[in-house]
Order: sequence, then C-alpha cells, then structure tokens
Amino acid sequence: MRALSASAAVGMVAFAAACSSDSAPTGPSLIPAACTGINLGPRPATLSLAQTSPAVLHTLGSGVDADRYSAEIAVHGSLAYMTSWQVRKVQGNRVSIWDVSGNTPQLADSVIVNGAITTGDVAVSDDGSLLVVATEPTPGSIAVYDLTNPRKPQLLSRFTNDQTAPGVHTAEIGRVNGKLYAFLAIDPSGGATPARLVIVDLSTPTAPKQVFVKITGNPFIHDTYQRDGLLFVARWNDGVDIWDVGGCGTGATPENPRVIGNVKTIGGEVHNIWWYHDSHGSKRFAFVGEEGAGVIGSSSKGDVHVIDISDPSAPTEVAFYHVDGAGTHNFSVDEANGVLYAAYYNGGVRAIDVRGDLAVCSASQRVVDQASGKSRCDLKLMGRELAIGLADAGKPVFVWGVQYANGNVYASDMINGIWKLAAAR
Amino acid sequence: MTRADPTATKSSLTEGYLSQPAIMAHGAFDWFQFRGTLNLEGLTLKRGELSTGAYGEGYVDRRHPHAYIHEALIGAEHSFAGLQGSVFAGRGFAPFGSDDPMVRPFEKFPVNHHLAQVLERVVTIAAIRKGPVIGEFGVFGGDEPTSPSASPNFSRFGDSWSTRVTLLPFGGVELSGSLANIISPEVRSGHGLDQRKSSVVARFNRETTTSWRYAMLEYAHTGERDQGELANKLSSILGEVGYCANGVIVAGRVERTDRPEEEQLADPFRTPRPEVDLSNLGISRWTTVSGSISSPAMTVGWGSMRPFVEVARVAVGHGTPAGIFNPEFRYGATRMWMLSAGIRLRAGSMHDRMGRYGVALPSMEGGNETMSMPDMPGMSHTSMTHAPAKCAL
Repeated sequence: MRALSASAAVGMVAFAAACSSDSAPTGPSLIPAACTGINLGPRPATLSLAQTSPAVLHTLGSGVDADRYSAEIAVHGSLAYMTSWQVRKVQGNRVSIWDVSGNTPQLADSVIVNGAITTGDVAVSDDGSLLVVATEPTPGSIAVYDLTNPRKPQLLSRFTNDQTAPGVHTAEIGRVNGKLYAFLAIDPSGGATPARLVIVDLSTPTAPKQVFVKITGNPFIHDTYQRDGLLFVARWNDGVDIWDVGGCGTGATPENPRVIGNVKTIGGEVHNIWWYHDSHGSKRFAFVGEEGAGVIGSSSKGDVHVIDISDPSAPTEVAFYHVDGAGTHNFSVDEANGVLYAAYYNGGVRAIDVRGDLAVCSASQRVVDQASGKSRCDLKLMGRELAIGLADAGKPVFVWGVQYANGNVYASDMINGIWKLAAAR
Repeated sequence: MTRADPTATKSSLTEGYLSQPAIMAHGAFDWFQFRGTLNLEGLTLKRGELSTGAYGEGYVDRRHPHAYIHEALIGAEHSFAGLQGSVFAGRGFAPFGSDDPMVRPFEKFPVNHHLAQVLERVVTIAAIRKGPVIGEFGVFGGDEPTSPSASPNFSRFGDSWSTRVTLLPFGGVELSGSLANIISPEVRSGHGLDQRKSSVVARFNRETTTSWRYAMLEYAHTGERDQGELANKLSSILGEVGYCANGVIVAGRVERTDRPEEEQLADPFRTPRPEVDLSNLGISRWTTVSGSISSPAMTVGWGSMRPFVEVARVAVGHGTPAGIFNPEFRYGATRMWMLSAGIRLRAGSMHDRMGRYGVALPSMEGGNETMSMPDMPGMSHTSMTHAPAKCAL
C-alpha cells in the first residue's frame, strides 16, 4: 500500500511538470527513418491551457471592392496583392494592389490578367522579386511578374501549355536547394481530362519551364505546400501526400519526386496544408484544411485537421478544430507566437493556439469520430481557440484568405474586399 | 429556331438547331424484349440548345445534348397468379418521376429536367403490377454522362436506387410517387454531392378518335448531401396541359423550379464538370410560363411534319439561400423571353411513355386506350392502342 501511494505521488508531480503554459520542448530531436535529410526537432511540450471564451480580433480597417469577388491575398512589405474570382459586375481578372501601411488599406494600383475569369491564387517569392498569379479557366496559366517596383508589377512571362488546361487552380512557389519552383494544381475536366500536378522551374522567370507532371487527386488535386524539400499535396478525397522533392537526401528532386507517405484525414475533401515549424525547432505537425459543401456568401463546412508527421511515411491525424455552421479555407501561421490564423468563410477569421504538443490531451478533450471510430484531440476543448475576427463586422463576410504579416492579420473577403486586423498575440 | 432575350451574354441570341434527332427501336420475341433509343444530339447540339433556365451536365441556359445511347435495354415479362412482372436491364431511365420531356407537348424542356427525371444510367429495373397498382424498383450507377459519347462508370453500378409506385384509379388518371437515392451524380469517379430525391405526379390523359386531352401536375424535390449532411434543397412544381382537336395542338405550362448556380467558364453557357471545391453561388428560383401551338401535321407516306410555335416568359429571382448569385449581373434583367418556332419531323412511331418499361407502362392495361400518349402511333406492342394520328406530336 505504501509503495502504491508513493508511485501515485510521483505520477502527479510528473503530470504537473508536463502540463504548463510553457511550450518549451522536451526530449531529443527526431530524424525520421523515412526522410533522414529532415530534422523534425524535439517533441513539443504538453501544454495545459485554461478554457476561456475566445477574444475578438480587433478590426483596424478595410478596403472595399464591390465590382469583383475577392480571392486570395499575399502580403509583402507594406503591400497586399489580392486576386479576384469569377464574375460579379466584371470578371475576376484583376490583381488589386493595396497599400496596407496604415490601418485602412488604400488601393494603390492593379494589374489586369488578360483572358482570366478567375485569378484564384497569388504568391510572392521569398526574396520578394516575383509575383505569381494562377489563372482559370482554359487554357489555364501562371502569370509571372517582376516586383522590382512592387507597386507596379511588370509581366515577365505567361506560362501555359496543354497540361495547364482547363485551369490552374492554385500555384504555390518555393525554393528547393536554391532553385525557385512553382507547383501548380490543375483542374480536371469531364471524365477524360483528369486533375494533375505540374511543377515548373522558375529559375529563369522570363522562361518558365515545366519539369514534371503527374495525374493525381480524387477527383482533383487542390493545393500544395513546399518547405525544406518536402511537398505536401492536397489530393481531396485521397488525403494528403508527402513527397520528397529534395529534402530527404535521397536524390529526389522536383523533376523526379518520391512519394513518402499519405494520410486520409477524416472527412476527406483536403483543400490546403501548412507544415508548421514552431519557435523551438519542432516540425512534427501539419495543418490540413477540409472544404465541404456550402453556398458562397451563405454557408460553408469543413474542419482544420492536425496531422502528426513524426513518421512521414505514416502520418496520423491527431487533432481537429471545428466551427458549427462554418468551414475553413486558407491558413497563415504566426510561427514565432504559435498562432494559426484560419480563414473561415462566413465564420470570419479564427485564431488558434498551436503551441506545444497538439497530439496530447485529456480524455475529456478527446472526441471519437462516429464514422471512423478514430479518437482525436479537440483543439477547442483544449482551450486553444484564441480569438475570432470579423464576427463583429456588422455585415456578412465570406473570408477566402488570410495572412499574418508585420504583426497584423490581413483577410480577403469575397464579398467586401480586404480587412486589416490586429494579431491575437 | 429559338430567340432568347436576354441570355447569359446579357444580349439576345437567335439560333437554329436540329433538336432531338433520335432513332427508336423496339422489338419482342416471345418473352424477350428490346428497347433502344439512339440520340444524335451529340452531333447536332454540341453547344447545347438555347433554353433559358435550363441546366445540367455542365450546361447552363442551354439544354445539354443527350447521350448517343439514350436507351438500350433488354427485358422480359411474365404473369403469374394475377400478377404481372417484368425485369429490364441496360442503359436507360431509372424508375423515378414523370415522363421524359421529349414525349410531352413542348419542344423546350422544363428547367426541372434534372429534378424530375433520372436517365441515361446503367440500370436494372424490376416492376410488378396487380390491377391498378404498379410498383417499380431500380438499382443503377449514379454517375450521369459526362458527354454524349462517354461510357458510364460501370464500376459504380448498384450504388444508387430508386422506386416508384403508380396508381391507376380510373380511366385516364394516373398518380405516382417516387423516391431515389443517387450517389455523386455529377462526379463520375464518386465523392461528389449525393442526392435524395422525391417526386409526386398526377397525370390525366384522355383520347378519342378525333381529340386528345392531357394534364400533368408534378412536385419534385432534391436534397443534395455532403457526407450525409444536407447541403442544398431544390424544389420544383410544374403543371402542364395539352389539348388537340382537328389536328391542332395547344399546350400551356407553368413551372417554378430552383436551380443551383455555379461558376461560369469562358463560355457563359458552361459550368465546370466536375466542380472544383466550393463553387455554389447560391440558389435561384425560375418561374416560367409557356404556351405552344402546333398546326395539323402534313403526312407524306410514313413521315409527317408538324409546324409549331412556342413562347415562354421567364422570371428569375433569389432562391434559398440566395448566396451571391445576382441575376442582374448575369443577365442584365430578371425577366426574359424565349420564342421558338420549328417543324417536328417524324417517320414511323415513337416509344410510348419514355421512362417506363415492361409492366410499368400504364398503357399495358389491356384495352385501356385512354392510357396511351398521343405521340405513340404505330407502337408495336400487341396490347397497345394508339392516339388519333392527327394528334401525334
């Protein structure tokens, strides 16, 4: 009996030490056998957070676009590049350039992308020299602009070929071993033209060069996320693939990628991904957006899923975040402060505390999915819902994209335009 | 020839077509039966037929061309203990809803075609009939055609079902109710929105040697579901009447139907198939009042020609939820006209009651000549009687 009591006391001390609000990691770094070129860092600490009501992400200002439906946003320095979608009063062929140096965004200029009805995705290269815009529909393309004068992008090239038809849905750009690439998710068409991933070498931006193409996705591939030579591929109902495109030291390249692993998240409909590198060097988790059915301007559906990639050959889903009556779209993460900002369409912007080990939670914070029987941590029950933005906008919003930059959060709202919000931390 | 004003181009369009070209065949040998319809719209209507409000299979405000193999089924019938039964299998109509618009009085299809009929599926249908009651049950693959020449996804056979019960209470009157569960009709590989459908139809048809009277009232509902959760609700109510005397056919139709609005492509009459992520712009509600008149047919040998004129007043408003769809942005107006004129050409006979097979054909009721459509003269079925030739469409 004495021995049992002593053992229980030791256990309680250990639990108290582990459960704190300090996210400093514990344990050794992990170099996974499936990808020895990547150091996934130490296991994050287990945090114990008090359950509180989410705060309000304070709205600083907005810029209105009533002629077009706004789409994705990319912020670089004091400028925000915001694309447009489909046909409102006019078609979504414009990239608006907003000066966001003040609290109220000011329209500085714009670029018209000829032949596009939707300019659904936009990205700025890590060195700030290039702006890349994806276009839909047929023939589909990426437009590459020079940002020597970031207020006046100059068209360098327009990449299109038979593989970009019927449209480039998303175009992510990233550097692999020093060379810049674009990763294009191509729409399917009918039963005869399946969705595919096209990789383009952008090292000579005046002459982009296709280096890889693969049919993938069920029924389509929606997005990609490349970092440190790992490519995460959103394959909709076929889940998330992790590809080695040069990070694992196996000889794989963007020209010759190697599939490492796959995970099918609950509910499928994998829309977007963010591989999270926390401030302590831990790289164990990635966030996956699920996009369900809805009606634009009215309703949406889909959760944020957290996958643990400690073994990249066998990632597992460990946690989720759900909002009743709304679904997530694109993400941005303030990695220094451990905050995930998720665009949530009619649900505005959600700020989620992602510090620490997201796979560890108490029994009361776990939820079993009825259909799959899988048990996951509920980030909301874990007290990680930090703040909500635009719920107080005073009018309906439908937030497509969000980006954390310069201590603020910028949101592209399909209906209203651009919003500037104060960050949660 | 159709003139629509305005259209999705925000201007009027006038176009001409050879619409609904079809070759129909049917035959029977002892218990074995065959029924086939080769539809050639893939050759003549590739851009779709101008039809404001119509939608489906990647077309909007144009009716899509149907599959070349519109129907190709084999089947058998048998009677026992006062029951009549039949089994048909092949590509054709699932037992659901009302007759195909092709065999109804108007040349233009109603907006509710994709709510009120389920067609061009790989299907097996069992039907049983006792007296005035007909029951049908079908299993099929949920995928709708992706083009006139596209083959069905045979691996999906059996993922969907439908059932219809029909009552024939007295001469010329027919009441039916249908249910259907269709898996991912718009994404061939699966994983698209599923549909749960229901339909109630009341139909009246009476013919004499010189005249024909027809009326139909239907309610159709489709709930679109994402992983079991209701995503959209689409409803339709439609009434149409027809009258023929001395070879002149007049008809009227009133319809109110919900339509899901989708992304546009560079061609404003086309939408992406499959849809890529969230692309539902909202629900619109279409109210259409149509009138039609056809002159007496001119007959030459086996063939006939019947000139017709149709006019439709079309109104579009917000459905529920309205989403971001704005008809003023799309059309520049919320009220539209559609005027059509043409000549119906026919040689030989058409199928009876397109959408029913075997003992599910109410006209199978021996000697009940009030049950057959007026457009079926020459149908070879031994128990079938025919409408007055003057009133054949």
